[in-house]
Amino acid sequence: MSTKKYLKTTLIAALCTAAIANTAWAQTVKLGYSGPLSGGGALYGKNALSGIEMAIDEINASGGYSICGKKYNFQVIALDDKYAPSETGINARRLVQEHKTPIIFTPHAGGTFAMQVFNEKEGFLIASYTSVPDVSERGNTLTVRIPPNFKNYIEPFSKYAMKRFGTKVAVANANHTYAKMWTEAFTEGWKKLGGTVVAENPMDYNRDTDFYSGVSRVLAAKPDVLFIGGPSEPTALVAQQAREQGFKGGFIVMDQAKLDEMAKIVGGLQPLEGSVGVMPLVFNDAPAAKAFIRAYEEKYGKTPTTEASLNRYATYVFAEAMNQSCSVDDARKIREAIPKAVAALPPELNTDGVEGVEENGAFLLELRFAVVENGQIVVKRRGDLLN
Amino acid sequence: MILFIQQILNGLTLGSIYSLVALGLTLVYGIMHIPNFAHGAFYMMGGFVAYSLMTKAGVPYWPAILCAAAVSAVIAMVSERLVFRALENALPLHHMIAAIGILLFLEALAHAIWGAEFHRMPTPYTGSVTLAGLSLPTQRILIIVSAFVLMVALNLFLRKTLLGTAILAMAQNREGAFLMGIDANKISLLTFAIAGALAAVAAALFAPINLIYPTMGELVIMKAFVIIILGGMGSISGAIVGGLIIGMAEALAGFYVSSDYKDLIAFAVLVLILALRPEGLFTKGMR
Repeated sequence: MSTKKYLKTTLIAALCTAAIANTAWAQTVKLGYSGPLSGGGALYGKNALSGIEMAIDEINASGGYSICGKKYNFQVIALDDKYAPSETGINARRLVQEHKTPIIFTPHAGGTFAMQVFNEKEGFLIASYTSVPDVSERGNTLTVRIPPNFKNYIEPFSKYAMKRFGTKVAVANANHTYAKMWTEAFTEGWKKLGGTVVAENPMDYNRDTDFYSGVSRVLAAKPDVLFIGGPSEPTALVAQQAREQGFKGGFIVMDQAKLDEMAKIVGGLQPLEGSVGVMPLVFNDAPAAKAFIRAYEEKYGKTPTTEASLNRYATYVFAEAMNQSCSVDDARKIREAIPKAVAALPPELNTDGVEGVEENGAFLLELRFAVVENGQIVVKRRGDLLN
Repeated sequence: MILFIQQILNGLTLGSIYSLVALGLTLVYGIMHIPNFAHGAFYMMGGFVAYSLMTKAGVPYWPAILCAAAVSAVIAMVSERLVFRALENALPLHHMIAAIGILLFLEALAHAIWGAEFHRMPTPYTGSVTLAGLSLPTQRILIIVSAFVLMVALNLFLRKTLLGTAILAMAQNREGAFLMGIDANKISLLTFAIAGALAAVAAALFAPINLIYPTMGELVIMKAFVIIILGGMGSISGAIVGGLIIGMAEALAGFYVSSDYKDLIAFAVLVLILALRPEGLFTKGMR
């Protein structure tokens, strides 16, 4: 009897030790995410999050990422900030204090600025998915900016729209931080090319969904081109409202909105004729991108956007940077190792052709454009639009 | 001039949707004397049910609206039975907390079933009618016409049928209605059902020119509250006129001032009217 009891105890003890040893063996690195998961930006925020999740699932399925010879699993803690920068700030503090996340992803400029107030002091790295260049130009040493700089879109977008439709533009885009900065840079660039801005009426794309009066307000100024953009779905509605009210000109679409997602909302590309915007990811025919698109469609049952592919790539970059720096919690060391990590990652992961990292932490990548001509999305290079 | 008429049309569209939502709210307030915050959730559920029926089950537009109205009516009745009835003798504050609870519950439910993102409801009425240079989208005309037909029908029901007059009687004097042999439980159940159905129809009519998402009811319910305060709590004509005032104010302000300020202007109208008539426009209408 006592032998049996002894055996039982030993067995339990052994199991416990094994369990403890096991958890110690496959340690988990927690990454933070704060972005819109409800409201107008929900789809956009979820797209970004899905890329991070995809990278993490791939890493964990292969037994973890090897960081200095030790395998680590990853986990993402995602919090909803409803697109409000103040909420991002609160979420970031929670992520750092409760989960000790060394890196926090956010897909918006406002949230990035909110976190930049205290991220250096609290020692966490911001992975900012925004095309607002200021994010990486204000001297914050712990910020990585993932997508291309929006300023590089302005000249090609403007030249194309001017040539095809005319020089009078009206602004009817969203009014969040990113959109405000875009508008400022855009109107300046448009005027420099000899155009005029005939009306400016930014709208709340995030809360409102009836844009009738706002759109008729800008159309009253008889523009040739409308400058629109924000999350894809409300942007599509704005375009549709403009067409319903008889607008025949073209659209310049800010990089947050994707032409393929917009087409789903307005029921085809016909209403979007004459739009110029960024190339939807599905048109990327690099082998890495094609493989990613296939895997994503299988997992989520829909076509991915650049938010997903670039955030997935960025997640790999951070994992590799942890490996290069042999640290899973020191944000400064991880940040320093990022250029090395980008160089070390295999090209099969590089879906969007990231070429390197700037000194200030911004990813360098080639810009790709798309226009809607005769009811079709046509991919264009920078040179095609400038001439 | 054409632009002005377009704004009036837009104001009428918004106004008729707001009126439909506010009507349900004011009916429930009339007999229960509670501000039913859950009403926004009935609206949202109606939109989602119509959307799912149309896109997933291939049900045509009008039957889908009727089914959505039925589903929202049932949800409203269930919440009356399970929640508000149980709180009959509790403090009014408890009703309010319970109503917010129902709102949050239904929002979370929609979030779990349909996800947080925007959905777009298809409509068979995509074209627009052009009259003397004025382009009128068919769906908007449809909204205005259907809303007014519903309002007239509701009015006839309330004034000409026995059940309708029972609702009005209960709103005017609860004890008196009891003494006349009116079954209060049945009437409050019926009122909730009507309110839920009206909200669902409003959502399904509005959805094709708008988007469907779990928190879509919040902004509308806030405006509906403004409307019934403006029109007089519990007043039917107040809800209709108030809805049109707010709709017009938003449309015209969005066009002539700035779309950034249109919600602000709706509230400024409220403050102005309440300053002049603190009891609301039509307080005597129903109560």
